[in-house]
Amino acid sequence: MKPDEVDILLVDDSQDDVDLTLHALRTENLANRVFIARDGEEALDFLFCSGPHAQRSFDHPPKLVLLDLKMPKVDGMQVLKQIKGDERTKTIPVVLMTSSREERDMASGYDLGVNSYIQKPVDFGEFRNVVKLLGLYWLVTNRPPIANGKPAVAKQGR
Amino acid sequence: MSSTGTQLEAPDSANPKPKLRALLVEDNASDAELMLRELRREGFDVATTVVQTAAEFRRRVKEELPDIILADYNLGEWRGVEALEILHGESLDIPVIIVTGALGDVTAVECIKQGATDYVLKDGLARLPEAIRRALREKQERTLRHQVEQDLAKKVDELARSNADLEQFAYVASHDLQEPLRMVAAYTQLLAERYKGKLDETADKFIGYASEGALRMQVLIQDLLAFSRVGRNTSASGSVDCNSVMEEVLQTLAATIQESGAVVTHGELPAVWADRTQMAQVLQNLVGNAIKFRGKEPPVVSVQAEKAEQHWLFRVSDNGIGIAPEYAENIFVVFQRLHARTEYPGNGIGLAICKKIVERYGGKIWVEAQTGSGSTFKFTMPLHGPNEHGANKREQARP
Amino acid sequence: MKPAPQLLIVDDNPADVGLAREGLARSAYRGQINSAGDGVEAMAFLNRREKYASAARPDLVILDLNLPKKDGLAVLAGMKADPELRRIPVVIFSTSQLNRDIARSYELGANCYVSKPGNLNEFFSAVKSIEEFWFGPVSLPPRGE
Repeated sequence: MKPDEVDILLVDDSQDDVDLTLHALRTENLANRVFIARDGEEALDFLFCSGPHAQRSFDHPPKLVLLDLKMPKVDGMQVLKQIKGDERTKTIPVVLMTSSREERDMASGYDLGVNSYIQKPVDFGEFRNVVKLLGLYWLVTNRPPIANGKPAVAKQGR
Repeated sequence: MSSTGTQLEAPDSANPKPKLRALLVEDNASDAELMLRELRREGFDVATTVVQTAAEFRRRVKEELPDIILADYNLGEWRGVEALEILHGESLDIPVIIVTGALGDVTAVECIKQGATDYVLKDGLARLPEAIRRALREKQERTLRHQVEQDLAKKVDELARSNADLEQFAYVASHDLQEPLRMVAAYTQLLAERYKGKLDETADKFIGYASEGALRMQVLIQDLLAFSRVGRNTSASGSVDCNSVMEEVLQTLAATIQESGAVVTHGELPAVWADRTQMAQVLQNLVGNAIKFRGKEPPVVSVQAEKAEQHWLFRVSDNGIGIAPEYAENIFVVFQRLHARTEYPGNGIGLAICKKIVERYGGKIWVEAQTGSGSTFKFTMPLHGPNEHGANKREQARP
Repeated sequence: MKPAPQLLIVDDNPADVGLAREGLARSAYRGQINSAGDGVEAMAFLNRREKYASAARPDLVILDLNLPKKDGLAVLAGMKADPELRRIPVVIFSTSQLNRDIARSYELGANCYVSKPGNLNEFFSAVKSIEEFWFGPVSLPPRGE
């Protein structure tokens, strides 16, 4: 998978949740263009084309960033703030997908411009359904923002 | 620009003496007189003005727009050749003949290089009339040619604009038509769903016809849009490997191929200079048609290409229902169909699009067919793109 | 008991609003649907002005772009500039496939952009998809009455 072909940037430090998410995406054939970042710092390097991801270009952003809130080093809210605060990245759709039940987090998220906020279901089955719906909505129904003057090609509808 | 050239034939009974208006740049009166005498002897009815200085020359030449200028090379403070600069500065195209005393060959060539039409030595004035005749003839040809070029440029411009207008119209019409059409299509469909069986049979039929009509219009307009788009995007052309395009086409037609049990093969196809999407459209339409217009047997379609002297020749052959030769040209016309909609679906725009695309690149498209024994569609594409040329053609690598 | 979900559809074509309502009726949505026919009416509704004084704040806004008086992008910009309205998710729902419309929408803070399909079944699918996602797993921002 070339760095410019990433559809989803999945940012989560929980291996279990990552596995579950990938599994759910796989059933909808959406899993092969997922890049996983284990913490906020790696996510930011990826999106801002710096550090180990210096060869990436701003012209090929992912179609979706799935962001968990509670992470070491740089937490989700920080990442969100930076993404939505920079002209080069602010149009990238970000979905906060988190186990946090705090309303305050949700309010702040929307204030910062998160595209949607989803509470991770506790139930595995529900979790899978949610990820499926999520993937389909953002990668099939939604028209992603423009990259490099040309629209990032949305997947063909089923 | 100056006046149109004067036609100078030798005067005869039918042709009264043609008037030659000459501007002499000469400071020696007797030299001037000699020239005039020579011209009159040859039968020219010449009217002259004589000037000596550059300023006088500039003024007179603009006022009188003579047919010819005879200039001495040595005029004291200035060189007759400078007259050429003045003419150039005033954008006047009047032939200049340098008439002068001894002139080395080198200087003579210089004069010609600077724009003089000819030079004649004062002790060889016998040459002068012929030199004048030739200069005037050339001037006339130049003027004529320029006129023709201007007319042509104007026509090309008009045509281009007219074309652009038409395409714009087709695009806007199809685009703006889609909205109200979407409403009609949606609501007739809703009517059909909601009231089917609840009104009477006639109502069902009416609603059905309206609904079908609307849906068909939607497809028609999309087709028209596609057709009008063919000429629009000129920037996307490049070297296109037709083998990989065929792979894409087979993917796109995968469902149809499976349903019909079609066998589609292709030989080694070349790389051509084109817009990739449009190449795909052509191949997809031709292969799609080959499958669609099938007989009782599963369709067998073959796509081949061979190199002719001046072009690539592509062939798409099938074992389908064929085409009666008298319709062979007709089918490429927009919206022309040979069968009822119930027999074979489609709007009849596919081939029109193919033709438009192929012709855009300077190629031709035609069909060789008989009713009942399959068809072979052929089209040509140029061998090289605009920046490629035969000797220098790089190997086009397969992606 | 949770209050009924509130949806605002902003579209100048009553036929399209009708189609959206029909699409929503075929989905699981059982909330309230309000509509505004132009950008000025939309802002009046959102700001509870005059006749809309007792209007409920929507949980989601489905916004068309080509509107008279004040167009969709202006409504979007107005919403995102207002601290009371900026949290409300906005789904742009438009027939426009122009790159610049999509780009501008995201730049101005649209949450997402869905193209209105020309085919009826696809239209209903799109509406269903929007409803399923936004009133399904999504935690909508608190209404902050």
